[in-house]
Amino acid sequence: MRGIRILVPVLAAIMVVGGFALERAEPQAPKEVLIGVLLPLTGNFASLGQQYLWSNQTVEDIVNNDYPDLNVPLGPGKGFPGLGGATMKLVVRDDQSRGDLARTLVEQLVTVNKVHWIDGEGTSGNTSIIQPVVEGYGIPLSCHPCASPTLTEKGFKWFFRTGPHDRVMVDSVFRFLQEWPKNGGPTDLKTVAVFTCDNLFCQDNHKIALEHAAKAGFKVVADLTTKTGATTLASEVQRLQAANPDILFFVQYPAETAVFQADAKRAGWTPKVLATSNGAYSDQTWLEAQKKTNGGAAWLGRDPTAIDLASKKPSWKKVNEIYKKYSRGQDMGELAMRQITGMLWVADTINRAKSLEPAVLAKAAADTNMSPDQMIIDYKGIRFDKSNQNELATGVVTQIGWDGEKHTIWPWELAKQAGYTPVYPSPSWQERDAKPKPAR
Amino acid sequence: MTELAQAVVNGLQMGLLYALVAVGLAIIWGLMEMVNFAHGEFMMLGMFGAWWLSSTLGWDPLVAMLPVALAIYGLGVLTYSQLMRRVQRGDAFAQIFATVGLLLFLQNGVVALFTSDYRFVSDTVLSRLSGVQLSILGIKLGVPLLMAGLLALALFVALYLLVDRTEFGLALQATSEDRDAAMLVGIRPQKMFAVAWGLGAALVGIAGVILANFFSVYPQVGLSFTVLAYAIVALGGFGSILGTLCAALLVGVVQSVTVVYLPPAFKDAFVFGSYLLIGLFRPQGLFGRF
Amino acid sequence: MAASRRIALGVGLLAALVYPLLIQATGYTYFQTVGFLVFIYAMLGVGWNFIGGWAGQFDFGPCIFLATGAYTAALASVHWGWSPWLGMVAAIVVSMAICAVITFPVTRLRGHYFAIATVAMWMIAQPIGATWELINGSRGLFIPLTPAKSSLEAIWTLGWGGRSKALAYYYVALLLFVLTMYLAHRVDRSKLGYYFRAIRDDQEGAEAIGIDSRVYKTAARCLTAAVFAAGGVLYGFWALAVFPDQVLEMNWSVLPMISTVLGGIGRLWGPLLGAVILIPISQVMSATLGAGPLAGRGLDVIVYGIIIMAVAAFRPSGLLSLPWARWFRRG
Repeated sequence: MRGIRILVPVLAAIMVVGGFALERAEPQAPKEVLIGVLLPLTGNFASLGQQYLWSNQTVEDIVNNDYPDLNVPLGPGKGFPGLGGATMKLVVRDDQSRGDLARTLVEQLVTVNKVHWIDGEGTSGNTSIIQPVVEGYGIPLSCHPCASPTLTEKGFKWFFRTGPHDRVMVDSVFRFLQEWPKNGGPTDLKTVAVFTCDNLFCQDNHKIALEHAAKAGFKVVADLTTKTGATTLASEVQRLQAANPDILFFVQYPAETAVFQADAKRAGWTPKVLATSNGAYSDQTWLEAQKKTNGGAAWLGRDPTAIDLASKKPSWKKVNEIYKKYSRGQDMGELAMRQITGMLWVADTINRAKSLEPAVLAKAAADTNMSPDQMIIDYKGIRFDKSNQNELATGVVTQIGWDGEKHTIWPWELAKQAGYTPVYPSPSWQERDAKPKPAR
Repeated sequence: MTELAQAVVNGLQMGLLYALVAVGLAIIWGLMEMVNFAHGEFMMLGMFGAWWLSSTLGWDPLVAMLPVALAIYGLGVLTYSQLMRRVQRGDAFAQIFATVGLLLFLQNGVVALFTSDYRFVSDTVLSRLSGVQLSILGIKLGVPLLMAGLLALALFVALYLLVDRTEFGLALQATSEDRDAAMLVGIRPQKMFAVAWGLGAALVGIAGVILANFFSVYPQVGLSFTVLAYAIVALGGFGSILGTLCAALLVGVVQSVTVVYLPPAFKDAFVFGSYLLIGLFRPQGLFGRF
Repeated sequence: MAASRRIALGVGLLAALVYPLLIQATGYTYFQTVGFLVFIYAMLGVGWNFIGGWAGQFDFGPCIFLATGAYTAALASVHWGWSPWLGMVAAIVVSMAICAVITFPVTRLRGHYFAIATVAMWMIAQPIGATWELINGSRGLFIPLTPAKSSLEAIWTLGWGGRSKALAYYYVALLLFVLTMYLAHRVDRSKLGYYFRAIRDDQEGAEAIGIDSRVYKTAARCLTAAVFAAGGVLYGFWALAVFPDQVLEMNWSVLPMISTVLGGIGRLWGPLLGAVILIPISQVMSATLGAGPLAGRGLDVIVYGIIIMAVAAFRPSGLLSLPWARWFRRG
């Protein structure tokens, strides 16, 4: 039974070492506000996780340092004035994109590190896993870019979301498509094909899209679900081409989107309208890459913010400069904007609460009524409905133009402000190759 | 009818790309029977090598093939001599254990150096040809894929000749079949294994360089290709280089044709289903020697 | 059993029982959850030992049975309100049945071919999991959370809430682990175990003396399936949700396997030793190297990978093969 003889000392040794290695928080008069940050920093969702990390680091910077001209919550002045100048400290954990690790690490953050607030996990799937845990411990949890509607439909009292969810976002896209004929758009769009990947995020979009397509009176001529990690989409493109939809509703991650574009190019096919919902359309690296090939021109999709209008705000520009310090020079994309806005809201809530008691924090959160002028994103404000979902996060519909940038095309008032006419129909691949590219 | 024919042609083209990824594994696993969970990571390193040389020095991937291949050859030999040689003393399962560690190390090493962003190698010789198409009997054939496919074919023929027709190749086969007997005739098995690992790694590294022309480059890219590569080597049969090629083409065609008529989410499921079906009738794969 | 062994076993069990109570006093319930994970992975490792360590087959597919187990119990709970214990019985039966049906045909395949066949099953299970409406596909199956009103009810429904959940689940995991070890111990000493090892060591020889390798390989795998199904039920109720991409993840097949290899493949206590080392290390790594200014660089996983490679290189037969007995006698 040498097994047993080894086990006890080994286990003891690990627990002792582990105990010393883990940080232990001892906040007296709150000198530090601990925000637990749980993110997928390695593994499949690492490209998302890293943007959220940079966003959180940006907010930590803004809160703890004095930016006198920056018009965002806690920009000027150091620390939390409502807590006597206490500083914000991020306690970061990497869950390797795994649900079981997420589940244990959040418990570590709550019971060992004794954080005051948890922000994470960044993906809807893993956030659903940690929701019941945090709910059980009774401290606030927030996820801002998580888009699955189910997160706020299960009646959790401690979960808050400032960003819009997919029901709102897909709704925007179909409202645009429905209203377009009366606002200078084509009048002969009748058929739609739905093309989504097979994971939680894509399938949520898929379900909502089918509902909306039916309500809007579009005929669904093809409905394909593909496996994530596909190495080729040639046959799928073939089927879509055969179905000949006017509109392609497209929800895929950046890697599969690149494969689709290559295969569609080989087949020489583009639908008249290409509408997306998040996925590649939100990914800054994909957008940058499209500037070299015009591959994204005329793609339209929903955005939580009118980025062409928001980026004119001086506060947006200033925050972007801070963000670039952490992101190795990458500009804020819409995901980062959602996360930064959300995290600034967290800081503002803690400040208004003037206390770190969970119940007081939750009340301050529920009482939020933030006005849009202090935000770098285009929500109408932050105010929560009964399910702790921000009801003022609506979002817009944008389109990528020939300049490689996104332009607002809906709602119509904002579109007028943006002064951009949508490209229609979607250009052929030869046209894309022929026209000048925004970047080399 | 042209729809089916187009799907078959698409499948053959993809099959050649899969063959390119599988050819390295055919040596390490198919021939030398060593499990390598990190096979996809060597490919990923090849892709990153191509991207890095392209973005810093402006080298086209076709040019980058040689230096990257040499570098990854070295990595393969190093992996064998420092890690796998020691692991061979233990159980076969220890190889899985060791290469899982290698996978975690390589993948996250790249994350640490380059972050997990998606990167694209643009403006390459092959991608500039991407609008060019041959149209034979109404079936479209993209030229860049065709060229990549021809390259894959050339590598395969070269490898087949190396393994089946040269003394070195025969020595490799002898070592894998019976290490002790091989030693008796003067072959040094450690040297054979090291070279096999180097060669296998270099080949999949070259595959990575070529694939970088068509696919986005990111640290987690290895998985989707390597699962198929494993199926292909097993389907073709252990010990048969040409078997791997045939299996790759079959896999490409099955993937392509089934999706035209059946739900695309089951794309790989159909491939693996065919593997099981064929395995019921030919347990040693299509052309397996053992 | 020799007296020294009995004492050692007793001490170990006592330590395992007392450990979480000590933790409960400090309030750091996280450490109880680590213990919970250790016992789940150790249990799965012992389960994997049936097909891998004793029957000697490369099997990457047991995660399928974790999924079938979790879904069976979850569906039973959602649609009929079954207790997870009843659900576990159903889960084991269903999983073993599925295992028998899908495994027997492929036992024709040997060695690496069989390994790929198990991967094939996993690859086929994935899209089924993602698109099957009965289990809600990718959107996941949620198990309704109703904290139990009394301790007795909690034991029946596994419905603990808040701060006692980690403690309770730790004990449930420990119980399942002990049961699994008992099963393994009995199989090890039985004719079944003898047949498994005979097939591993020399399949032709075994067949020559009348052991039907196909039947026994399937039997071994079905034992593995039973253990994984039970583990899946426990995981599902702990997480309160079953998602296809979480339960059909290769990690569930690979982590128990490498824990077992680390501890010593084919040895009874190998899986526990491996799990006790690997799980806390990955947690500690994430908390130290994966946190703070070094976060996002994947350093925690890099070091984890290096540790694994080092152990594989220097002790490929697993840690139990080290001359502990000699060391302890000397010390």
